[in-house]
Parts: sequence; structure tokens; C-alpha cells
Amino acid sequence: MTGEKTVKISPVTRLEGHGDITIKLGKDGKVKDAQFNITSTRFFEKFLEGRFAEEAPRFAPRICGICPEPHHLASVKAVEEAWGVSPPPAAVKVRRLLINAKQLSSHALHFFALAAPDFLVGPFAEPVKRNLVTIVKALPDVGKMALQMMQFGQELAAAIGGTAIHPVTAIPGGMLNPFSEQNRDKFLKQIADIKQWTTDTLTLAKKIFEDYWDVITKLGVVQTYYIGTHNKGAHEIYDGSIRVMDPDGSVVADIKPKDYRKCFAEYVPEHSYATHVYYKPVGYPDGVWRAGTLARINIVDKMATPLAQEAFEEMRNRLGHPIHATFAYHWARIVELVQAMEELEILLKDPQIVSKDVKLSVVQPKKGDGVGCVEAPRGTLIHHYWTDEQGIITKANMIVATNNNVGGIEKTLMEVAKQVFEQKTHQKLKLPKPMIG
Amino acid sequence: MPTGVSNGLTAAGQKSTSSQKPKTKVEGNFEPRILAFCCNWCSYAGADLAGTSRMQMPPNMRIIRVNCTGRIDPVFVLDALNQGADGVLISGCHPGDCHYTSGNLKMKSRFVLLQKMLEEAGIEPERVHLQWASAAEGDVFTQGVTFMVERIKALGPNPVRKD
Amino acid sequence: MTKRIALAQLTSCWGCDQSLVDLHLGLLTVLPEIEIVFWPALVDFKLKDLESMPNQSIHIGLVEGSCRTEEDVHLLNVMREKSRTLVAWGVCSCYGGIQGLANQWNLEELVDRKFMKADTVTDPRVPSENVPVFTETVQPNVDIVEFDAMLPGCPPTSNNLLDALTALISGKPFDLPEKSVCDQCSKVKQDKHIKEFHRTHEGHIDPSKCLLDQGYLCLGFATIGLCGAICPNVNTPCKGCFGPVVRVRDHGAKIISALGAISEMEPEKLKESFPDPIGSFYFTDYAASYLSRIRTETRRKKKR
Repeated sequence: MTGEKTVKISPVTRLEGHGDITIKLGKDGKVKDAQFNITSTRFFEKFLEGRFAEEAPRFAPRICGICPEPHHLASVKAVEEAWGVSPPPAAVKVRRLLINAKQLSSHALHFFALAAPDFLVGPFAEPVKRNLVTIVKALPDVGKMALQMMQFGQELAAAIGGTAIHPVTAIPGGMLNPFSEQNRDKFLKQIADIKQWTTDTLTLAKKIFEDYWDVITKLGVVQTYYIGTHNKGAHEIYDGSIRVMDPDGSVVADIKPKDYRKCFAEYVPEHSYATHVYYKPVGYPDGVWRAGTLARINIVDKMATPLAQEAFEEMRNRLGHPIHATFAYHWARIVELVQAMEELEILLKDPQIVSKDVKLSVVQPKKGDGVGCVEAPRGTLIHHYWTDEQGIITKANMIVATNNNVGGIEKTLMEVAKQVFEQKTHQKLKLPKPMIG
Repeated sequence: MPTGVSNGLTAAGQKSTSSQKPKTKVEGNFEPRILAFCCNWCSYAGADLAGTSRMQMPPNMRIIRVNCTGRIDPVFVLDALNQGADGVLISGCHPGDCHYTSGNLKMKSRFVLLQKMLEEAGIEPERVHLQWASAAEGDVFTQGVTFMVERIKALGPNPVRKD
Repeated sequence: MTKRIALAQLTSCWGCDQSLVDLHLGLLTVLPEIEIVFWPALVDFKLKDLESMPNQSIHIGLVEGSCRTEEDVHLLNVMREKSRTLVAWGVCSCYGGIQGLANQWNLEELVDRKFMKADTVTDPRVPSENVPVFTETVQPNVDIVEFDAMLPGCPPTSNNLLDALTALISGKPFDLPEKSVCDQCSKVKQDKHIKEFHRTHEGHIDPSKCLLDQGYLCLGFATIGLCGAICPNVNTPCKGCFGPVVRVRDHGAKIISALGAISEMEPEKLKESFPDPIGSFYFTDYAASYLSRIRTETRRKKKR
């Protein structure tokens, strides 16, 4: 019999945001509580009040430095809906180019810098070694490839948005700047390399998943609901409908973003400044859902591009449907990386992408409210603004992408805590020899 | 330095020629400390005239002479409030009379934005005031000062004021 | 000798870290010169690792973000203790950042809106277990501890970072340029006579001409020239996110000063053009403004 113990991890590293983990163990060694403590928040919803709504897309990206593009776009879409404004089709294509550029660079960053260290260096290596710097030094070809993929995505985002962190050109009514032919030519020239590197990343990733198959299938497998966006059943990140799927894999809701309040509800925990989002009709905690890469792979019927579809089918053949294995998020991320790459190629080859007609001449503010929804790398992102006759924001409600996952993360944390502290599962896992010694 | 600023007088004993009636509520022993920026050519001379004419004025002003109200950076006003001034008065030439043609007009534009920003920030906009008083208008200057003191007395001390 | 470097994140958006990563292959030139001893954003160091380091054992400490909680204040103080050269990294650290705009309201109002009254919240409460308390207002880090260098930016560009790190690693001072965004902007500029202001979504911006001349509120004239005029380059008005030109004490007040001089319209019309002066004239540096300081002190005294 041991005494009561509290395990504290402070802070959680290799993530965007501020979080601690608190695990309480009882005298019997059983896990009594597992908390994901999000330890800060900035009150964006309040300080957006009183602002010109067309400026909101300048404020919104500051919510996140890794995924400012989704915030920029969800924000401008919310204002456009509030004012009843539709941008020209070429502007929509440029926005799609922007969001896919960010998807590529974010997924590459996440895989190589935030996730891969655990796998390439091994989960029991010295903590100080588990990072991108080690990969760059020990596997220079892999490191170089990772950095160049990120660079492509960031530079393309900057070419469209002015800067990748934080983009500025989306405005109600379109884009303030067309995509130039010079830029189109520059990035199209690099697409062949990006294609090769994406394929190489997929190969590397699949090898890692095979090596760590035990971990993927045995550790942190948790049943939750899932939420994501689709366009007629196909994987879609800029504009579509929202699907909610139950743990058995059945679609229980399929709504337009403006009706999000039928499905989205927030539970305020005692121990976290980020709320737990859940499926409203089912209630909390049973309705807790997860968003992001694995959730999207679960809720869609197919991918939107051929190579991604191949990768998708391979993943589903291996892991089934719905997939509850938390570590499969990394695989889903690579499948999405493939689609991002293919979407970028399609858009760069589209002659309309360099059109000068990217902004309406007349945009009239009005009293109303609008919901802008996109898929950020980490989940469904919603910006909802109310504006007055002058087009000034009177109220704002936002469900940021990661917020959708906090409840699910905590559920997984509880499961893994039990596996580690009670069942000692981690001692029985088959682990490979790390690629980096 | 203007003379003739007498002690311990309120607006009660003054002639009121403008339609604006001062509030008479007095907050305990509170004596406002008000910074007054006066332009050299009109208002400062007007203040001087008020003094030599023995017009009675409350003693709450600290006067800073500037060449023109156009010289006044909004930062001066904010700095004064941040240091604990209960109010800031800006007194310049009438529009059209500015010694430098349009300095006072620039002041007016700055002032309306500044005052609106004070209000938005949750600071009483009445703590700052802009008036025009020419070199010959000692009475207008006096009145403006008197009304300002009454207004600030009614508002109470600047919460930031260190005593 | 490699320099020991620590990168701490207070409440922020991670943009400064992303900007550092965005050196991409340039990282390969910087990394050999430095030993990263603390960087939770990307490396598995914990707070207790930092706390147990000897004082002044870190050559260069970079602090990103600003103090929204007492935990942020603690981390800031620890970084000051452990670092020889402490750098305010990004505008959050230098001026409070965009979260400084929350200072327009009392903490109770902010907490109320987020936890008690948010439209999708079904069971309101204010969290209080295992989470740090909020600071009453956001203050710029430079007001809380002494810094040895400032690198403003939202975020500082990868080039800004490379310049700063190169100077600091070799022990040279890093001074901010005495330039504004206008100095870096290639558009044709005229004498300023602005008869009307337009909101950014109105009309079409002529890419060859100064945006301010066209009546769009571009704040490049009052904003430090570190970014390379990236927004005007894509036809978008500068919003001042890198903070003021050097030696300007209050960014928004300076902007009002300039507008008074260059606008040729009735003052009432000017006032009507800006129903939200705080949002128009401050962006990432409201916490450093006189207005914010006055309100902070007022709230502090009321609490007593």
C-alpha cells in the first residue's frame, strides 16, 4: 500500500498553449483523477467587442501562431455572412490556396517537430533529446526535408497573406491582393519536390507506425464522438457542412455551420480555463467529442484527391472504422498532408488563381450575425460575430479548434493513466530499436 | 506668470455670461489640481489681462505656456492625467486667429479624438476641456477656468492622484 | 564557446516560436552556436528544470508573451534571475500584446463573458482548481522586471530574429532601428491632405500609391520599421502591430497627434470616422498606453 500521490507534469511541452497535467493516485495505487489543466486564456471574445468587423480578421490570427490562417479565414467568413456578402470565386480559390498551404506546413511541423521525436528517438530516451534539433542533427536528410516542406507552406502562405504569421489580406468582399503570376510560377516550380517529399514522409510515417503498432493499438484507445467538416461526404477544410459521428461510427448530425448551436455545447470544468466541448443532445460527459485529423478521417466517406484517397483506404483497411486509437491521429495527419499537397497542385495549376478580380467594389456593413467555419489543423473552428448597423462587432462567440479536443484529451489521459499506473501496460509493449540512438 | 489669481473663490460670485451653468456640488475638501496649456499669443495674454484687471479666478491652475496649441501632443495631456492631474485645460486662439494660421485647428482635431478615446477607456471625458480665448478676453478666460474647476470638483479627484 | 539560451513562453500565441522555426534551413547556422537549455514550446524541459538552474547561468533568456496569470509572473521572475541578458521577445513582451486590449474592461467583466455568459456554455462556473489566478490587468513585461534588450514584432520576422541572435551571441548590443514602416515602403507618397477616411473594405486600393494618401488608415508612419512593410506590400494598411517608432512614449496618442495635422476635414467628421479609437489606434500595445496605466492604477486603488 502506497500513500496518496499527485503526479504533476508542468508544463506539457511540444504544444501550442499552456497546459499542466495533474494525476491523483489513491492509497491503493488507483487513478482517482486525471486532469488536463489549461492554465491561461486571453478573453478574445470580449475584447473584440466594439471593433470594426472588417478588422476582426486582423485580430483573430493572434489566437494562434501555428494556425493563424484558419482563424483569419473563419473570421472573414463570419463577417461576410453577417453582412450578406459573397466574395468573387477567384478570391475563394486564393483562400483555399492559403488554407492548404498552412495545412501542409502545420502538418509537417506537427509531425516532425512535435510528434516524431517521441518515435524516432524513442519514448524512453532522455527528455532533452526528444526534439526537432536532434532529428536535424542525427538524420540530416529527414531534417532537411522537414524544414523545406515547412518552408514551402509558410512562403506560399506569406505570398498570399502578406506574411505567414499573421496573414492580413482577407477582407469582407474578397482579398485585398491578387495572387501574382510571378508567385504562381515560383511555387508551381517547386511542386514536384513537394510531391516527392510528401511521398517520402508517408513512407517514413508508415514505417514508424509499423514499428510502433503495439503502441498504436494498445495505448490510449478511447471511444468518443467525432466532429469534422465535409463537402458531400468528401474531406474538406475551407467550406462545407459539419458532421457529428457517434462512437459506433454512425452519423448523428449533419448541419450547416450557422446551426452549430444545435450541436455544440461547452462544459466549464473546475480545473481548466479551456472548456470541454461536447455534443449537446447527448450531454456531458458522454457527448465529449474529438476533432482534428483522426476525427476528420472518421467522419468523411472519402478524400477529395486520388493519392490521398489511396492513403486513406490503406489506413482504413489497417485500422477499421471508426478508429479510436489516439496515436492514429499521426497517421491521419499524414493522409491529410497528402491531400493538402494535391489540392495545392490543383489550385496552382488553375488559371483563375491569378485573376485580378478578387474583391467586390461595394461592401455594405449591416446589422446581423454570421458564423464562419473552417477546419484548422487541430479541429473544427468557429467564429460567430454579431454586428450593428455600422458594422461594429457587438458580440463574439468562438469555439477554437483545439477547444474541441480538451475533453477528449482528458478522457484519453485518464485511460492512459490507468494503463500506466494500474495495469503497467507500458512495460509490456513491443517497442522498436529507435532510429536515432 | 498671470497675476490677480485670488484664493478661495468659487464660481458663485462670478457673472455668468455663457449659457453653461456650473455644477455647485463640492466634494469635501477636494481642491482640483488642473494643468492649463495656454498659447502664448491669445490665451496666455488673456490670462495676463485677467490678472492685471484684477478679475477673480480660482487658484487651481498650473499654467504651461506654449507657442501655439498646435504644439500640444496628446501625450502631454495623457501624461498629466497619469501623473495625477485632476483635469487638463487647453486654451487657444479662436479659429481664424491663430498666430501660425492653423495650429489651433490641428489641436481641435486632436482634441475630439483624444476626448473620445478617454471616454472609451473609461476615463471621464470632462476632465479635459478645450476653449478659445483671445488676448482681449480676460473675462472669457476667467470664466472658462472657473467653470472648469466646478466641473472637476463635481467629478471628484483623479483616482490616480497621489496626495 | 556555445551560448546557453532559454526561451520561455508566458501567455502568448506561439507566433514568436513559429517565426524562429521559420528560419528553416537558417536554423542550421544558428544551432551550432547555441545550447538550448529551456524551450518547452519544442523541447521537453520542465519548469522545475529552469527553477533549479544557478542564477545568471543562462547567457541569453528570451521571454515571449505577457502576464495574464500569476504563473506567468512567476516564470518571468525566474527567467530574470537565471539570465544574464534578458530579451523581451515580441510585442507581447515589450508592450503587452493584443491581449492588452482586455484592459478596457475589469477582470470580472472578462471572466463573466467567457465563463458565465458565453453563448455555448451550458453550466457556468469560474475554474479555480489547479489553475493560476489571473492578473488584474495585463502589464508589459518591461514594467515588471528589467530587460536588457527589446525585440518587438508580432511576431518579429525570422530575419529580425537572426539579426538579434547573431548580435547577442557575439556579445554585441542589439539596437532598434530609427526607422518607420514608411521608410521601408515603396509606394509613391505625397504631401498629406486627407479629406476623407475609408474603411479597409471600401473601394479598391491603388497598389502604387501611399495608402494613407488614399484615405485608408495605414499606421506605418508611427510604427517601427522592422517588418519590411509587409502589409502595405500586399495592399493592406499597416495596423501598427510592431509597436511605435523608437522614443515614442504612447503609440495611439502619437497617431492622434499626426492625424490632427494631416486630416483636412471638420473635426466632427474626423471623430465620426473613428467610433472605436482604441481599436483603431492601438493594436498590440494598449497595455503600454497611458490610458491603460491610468485605468490599471484606478482599479488597483478601488480594490484597496
